Amino acid sequence: MKEIMAIVRMKKTGATKKALVATGVAGFTAVKVLGRGKLVTDPQELDKCREKLLAMGLDDFSDARDTEKLVTSFLDGSRFFPRRLFTILAHDDDVPRIVEAITNVNRTEYGIGDGTIFVLPVEDAVRVRTGESGEAAIW
Amino acid sequence: MLLIRAIVRPEKKDDVLAELSGAGFNAATMVDVVGRGKQKGIKIGGMVYDEIPKILILMVIPDEEKEKVVKIILGTARTGTDGTFGDGKIFVSPVEEAYTISRNSKGL
Repeated sequence: MKEIMAIVRMKKTGATKKALVATGVAGFTAVKVLGRGKLVTDPQELDKCREKLLAMGLDDFSDARDTEKLVTSFLDGSRFFPRRLFTILAHDDDVPRIVEAITNVNRTEYGIGDGTIFVLPVEDAVRVRTGESGEAAIW
Repeated sequence: MLLIRAIVRPEKKDDVLAELSGAGFNAATMVDVVGRGKQKGIKIGGMVYDEIPKILILMVIPDEEKEKVVKIILGTARTGTDGTFGDGKIFVSPVEEAYTISRNSKGL
């Protein structure tokens, strides 16, 4: 028995749900969380992100300096961004399949910020309705 | 790898996260939670408050960094000199695998 914790973009919640159902998972829980990732120190990657964000932000109504300030604060690594945390219980054999499914739908052109998947061992699980425990409680 | 689940006071969350980030542990996830501890909540007059708001910080770190991270959280999340009831808890659980989606690779 394994617990899969997947932290994904808010916008990808629907796609992740669809992919999970298509992969055939027993069920999952989704929570809104705030998160930040590893500090990105590669200046090339940062410049790429900055350009993309600046291009997105500029319009007739916004002040260029404000946009620049906002983008800088986005990229300094200390800000928390909203993400969705999926918790999925799975049989040992299904873990690679589920991980691959989540990875496939969540990769984006932006790269940084796509999320992380963790696999944790689970000691026991009990289905409340029937009282059955162990592997039978998952699926 | 280890998953650190730290439950801390909401007003201490910024201190803890800034200190962790300064020590090189920038990656973290936080969730607003409510909970109570061994003291069964707070009793004020006749009213018992047993859903006290806390922040749950989740972070996955390499095994060898455990002591360092736990020490930082213990050092910054405590209130007063000796600590007080309600300062929180830290739980450590094993993580078997980690995947980074953007790089489509295994590992933190």
